Amino acid sequence: MAAVTGEPFGAAPAMGLPEAFRPKTGTMESWNAAYVRVEDYLRAHRIHNRLHQSRLIQKILERAARRHEEHPALDPTMVAAEETEALMDGWFGDVLDEKGQPHDRLAIDGRVALLLCDGPVHWPYAFLDEDNVPEDFVKAMKSSHLEAGPDLAVSSMVPRPIDLGRITEAAGETLERFERWPVLRALFLWLVFASALGGIFYITR
Amino acid sequence: MKVFITEHMDVARLNRRRFVFFSSVFGLTSLATWFVADLYWRDAEGLSGLEIVLLALFVPLFAHIAVGFCTALAGFYVINRGGDSSRISLSSPEGGPHRLASTAIVMPIFNEDVSRVFEGLRVVIKSVQKVEGSDNFDFFILSDSNQPNQWIREEVAWVELCKQVGGFGKIFYRKRRQSINKKAGNVADFLRRWGKNYRYMVVLDADSIMTGEALARLVSLMEANPSAGIIQTAPRTVRGESLYSRLQAFANRIYSPIYLAGLNYWQQHEGNYWGHNAIIRVQPFMEHCSLPELPGNEPFGGRILSHDFVEAALMRKAGWAVWLAHDVEGSYEEGPPTLIESAKRDRRWCQGNIQHTWLLTARGFRPANRFHLLMGVMAYVSSPLWLLFLILSTIEMVNQASTPRPDAADMLPDTTSLFGYSVAIPEALTLFSLTMLLLFLPKFVSVVVLLGRSEEAAAFGGRWRVVISAILEAFGSMLLAPVNMIFNTKFVIFTLLGQGVGWVAQKRSAEEDGTDWREAIITHGPQTLFGLVWGVSSLILIPAYFAWLSPVLAGLVFSIPVSIFLSKASFGRRAMELGIFLTPEETHPPEELRQLSQNLEECYRHLPPFEPLRADYGLMQAVLDPYINAMHVSLLRQRRTSAVAREWFAKLQLRLLREGPGKFTTKEKMALLLDPQSMINLHRELWSLPSESLAEWWRLAMRQYNVLAAVPSTALYR
Repeated sequence: MAAVTGEPFGAAPAMGLPEAFRPKTGTMESWNAAYVRVEDYLRAHRIHNRLHQSRLIQKILERAARRHEEHPALDPTMVAAEETEALMDGWFGDVLDEKGQPHDRLAIDGRVALLLCDGPVHWPYAFLDEDNVPEDFVKAMKSSHLEAGPDLAVSSMVPRPIDLGRITEAAGETLERFERWPVLRALFLWLVFASALGGIFYITR
Repeated sequence: MKVFITEHMDVARLNRRRFVFFSSVFGLTSLATWFVADLYWRDAEGLSGLEIVLLALFVPLFAHIAVGFCTALAGFYVINRGGDSSRISLSSPEGGPHRLASTAIVMPIFNEDVSRVFEGLRVVIKSVQKVEGSDNFDFFILSDSNQPNQWIREEVAWVELCKQVGGFGKIFYRKRRQSINKKAGNVADFLRRWGKNYRYMVVLDADSIMTGEALARLVSLMEANPSAGIIQTAPRTVRGESLYSRLQAFANRIYSPIYLAGLNYWQQHEGNYWGHNAIIRVQPFMEHCSLPELPGNEPFGGRILSHDFVEAALMRKAGWAVWLAHDVEGSYEEGPPTLIESAKRDRRWCQGNIQHTWLLTARGFRPANRFHLLMGVMAYVSSPLWLLFLILSTIEMVNQASTPRPDAADMLPDTTSLFGYSVAIPEALTLFSLTMLLLFLPKFVSVVVLLGRSEEAAAFGGRWRVVISAILEAFGSMLLAPVNMIFNTKFVIFTLLGQGVGWVAQKRSAEEDGTDWREAIITHGPQTLFGLVWGVSSLILIPAYFAWLSPVLAGLVFSIPVSIFLSKASFGRRAMELGIFLTPEETHPPEELRQLSQNLEECYRHLPPFEPLRADYGLMQAVLDPYINAMHVSLLRQRRTSAVAREWFAKLQLRLLREGPGKFTTKEKMALLLDPQSMINLHRELWSLPSESLAEWWRLAMRQYNVLAAVPSTALYR
C-alpha cells in the first residue's frame, strides 16, 4: 500500500488546471511530473494549440487520478502515460474503424496516418476530440498508409559463371594455390624482389 | 541469344571505321617507337639492356596516349561534319513526342548526405512530373546505409518528400538488412523483388541529376531500338564549388564532346556502361548480368567491384547493344571536391579495374569490350609504368653522362631520321613535340572549335575567358598529372600486395576550408620528398636532363600547396566571379540545377541538432518521436525471434533507457532499430517511466526535442 507521501494537494489549483482536478492520492511533485510528461508527449505529437492541449491534459490526468486512487502504489507519470495511450487507442480505433485491434497496431497505424495527413497541423482541435472530428479529417486518416515498396514480383537472378579462358583459369589456380600455401607466396615475392635487384644491378653497370 | 543487326551500322562500315581508328593508333605508336629506338641506338650504336626495357615500356604507354588522341581526332572529324550519321540519339528526337514504358528510376545510396540525395531526387521527380506520361516512372531509393542516424534521416526525408510531391505509391524506399555485394548487390536485390514489374530501369548515383526530358528520351530511344540493352548518357560534371572541382568540370565540359563523339565513332553499339545515368533493359539484364565471383580472394579475386564494365560486356555477349548517347542533354553528376577526395575514389576504382585483368581473355566477350576492360586496367597500371619509365630514363641519362663522350667528329649528328632521311631537328625534341602534340592537340582543337561558335563561347564566359581558362586548366592538369601518377602507382602496388579497400561514403561537396595542412602534409608529404630527392639528384648528376624532368618534379614538389589551394571553396567562388572555368551550367543553369542549389541552400541554413544529442539523434528520434517511431516500425518487417533473443533485446532496451546510448556500439543500436518490438517497447517505456528512472541523456532529449519540435522538424525542412 502506498503512496500518499510527501505534501498532499492543498487548496490552490495545481498546474493551472481547473479547480475540479483534485487527485486524492500521490504527491504534488509526482502529479506535476505527470503533467509535464503528458504535456511533452502531446507536444511531441505536434499539438501546439495551448487550449486544446490543456483540455486534453485535464482529461487524461483526471482519468489517471481516478485510477491512481485504486492503485496508489503506481507512479502517477506511468498511470498518466497509460491513460494517454488508452485515450489515443480509443480515438484511433474509432477514426480508423479498427476497434478491438491490439494496442501496438492501433498506435502505429494511427500515428502513421496522423503523420501522413498532417492531422495536428490541418485540424489543430480535432486530434483526440471525441465529439467533433471533421469528416475530411477522418477521410484523410483512413486513406493514409505507408507503402515502402510495391507488391513483390519476385524473380530469380542467378549469377552465371564466366568462362575466363585458359590463361586466366591457370593464373587463377596459381593464385588460389598461393593463397593456400603462404610459403609459396613468400618464395614468389622473394623471387620477384631478387629479380628486380638483379635487374637494377645490371642496368646500373 | 538475341541479335537485331538491322538497327546497327553495317559490319563493313563499322570495320572500316575501326580499321582507320586502330591503324592510326598503331601508326602513331610505330612512328614514336621508331624515334625512341633511333635515339637509343645512336648513342652507342646498339641497344643496351636498359634501353630495351625502356623501349618495351614506351610502346604501351605511347599507345595509351595515342588511343586518346585518335579518339579525339575522330570526334573532331565527326563534329565538323555536323555529327555522326550513326548515333542512337537520332532515333528519337529531342523534345518528343516520346514513347514511354514502365520504368524504375533506382538510386542506390550508402551513408550519403541525406539532404543532397533527397533534394536531388525532388528535382528529378518534379522534372519528370512535367513530362507527358510521367505515370510510367516509379522511383526507388535503395539504401545500404549502416549508420543509425543516417537510416532514420533517410526514412524521415523519404516520407517528407512523398508528402511534399504527392509521391506515395510512386516513390519507394528500401533498406537492406544485410548489405551483400555492395551497389551491384543492392540493384540485384531490387531486380529480384520488383524487376519483373518494369521494362526499363535507370540507375542514378547519389549525386546524379537527370531531367524529365532526358529520362523520357532515354525510354523512347529504348522503345525505338528493341535490340538496345543499355544506353549510357554522358553526365556533365556540375555544381563544383572548390577550384579543383570547377577545373575538372570545365575540362569535362569543354573537352569531352570531341572525345565522346570519337568514342561513339568506333564503338557504336558496342559501348560501355559507367554504372549510372544510364537506362537498362531489365529482362536481359536480369538474365545475363548477375555477376559471379572471380577466382581467389579480394582484392584481386572475389566479388567484382567495378561491375559496370563487366555488365556491359555480358550484355554484348548475349547479343544486346550497348550505346553511348553522348548528345542526350540533361544528364549531370558531381565530382570530388578535392584532389585527396578524388584520390580516395581512384583507390576504389583502381582495385575494381585491376580485377578486370581476369576478364580480358574471358570466352565470348566481344573484342570491343575486351578493349574497354583493357583501357580501364591501363587507366591505373599506366601510372606505375610511367613512373618506372621516368626513373629508368633518369638512370639511363646518368649512365650516359658518366660514360666518356666520343669526339664530336665521331658522333652521329643529332638529327631526326626516318627511313634514312634526316631533318636537322634534334630527335629528342621531335619525340617530345610529338608527345606534346598528342596530349594537347585535342584540347587545342576543342578550344578552337568552341571559339568558332560565338554563342557557345559566350556561355563559357566569352572567348577571352575560354582561352585564359584553357591555359590555366592545361597548367593545372600538368601539375596534377605527376601527383595522380604517384597516387595510382601506390594504389596499384597496394592492390597487388593484397590490400583491399573498404566501402566508404564518397564526399561530394566542398567544405569552406578545404583540405587542411595536416591532411595535405600526411597525404602529399612522401610525394614532395620523392620529388625533392629525384630533382636534386638529377640536378647534381645530369643538369641538362633536369629541365626535361622539371614539369614532373614541379607537380610533386608543390603538391601540398597545390592540393590545399585547389580545395578551397572561396578560391573556386572567386574564380567564378572572375569568369575563370565557367561552364554553361553555371552561366545558364538549367531549372533543375538552379532549384537544387536553392533547396540545398535552404536545407543547410538549418542548425544541426543540439550538440549533446547530435551523435545519436537518429536513434533518439526513432525512440522518442511518436511519428518517427511509428513510421520506422511500420517500415520494418515483422520477424519471429527466439525467447533467448527477446531476453537479449529486453536487456538492451533497459540499458538504453537507463544509461543512454553513449556506450552502445553501432551494431547494438542497429540491432534495436531493426527489431520492431524493441522500438515499440522503447517508445512506450520512455514516455511512461518516471524521469528518475531514465538516463540524463533521455531527460535532456525530451526537454530539447519538444523545443525543436515546435516547428515540424523534418530532414527537408519544409
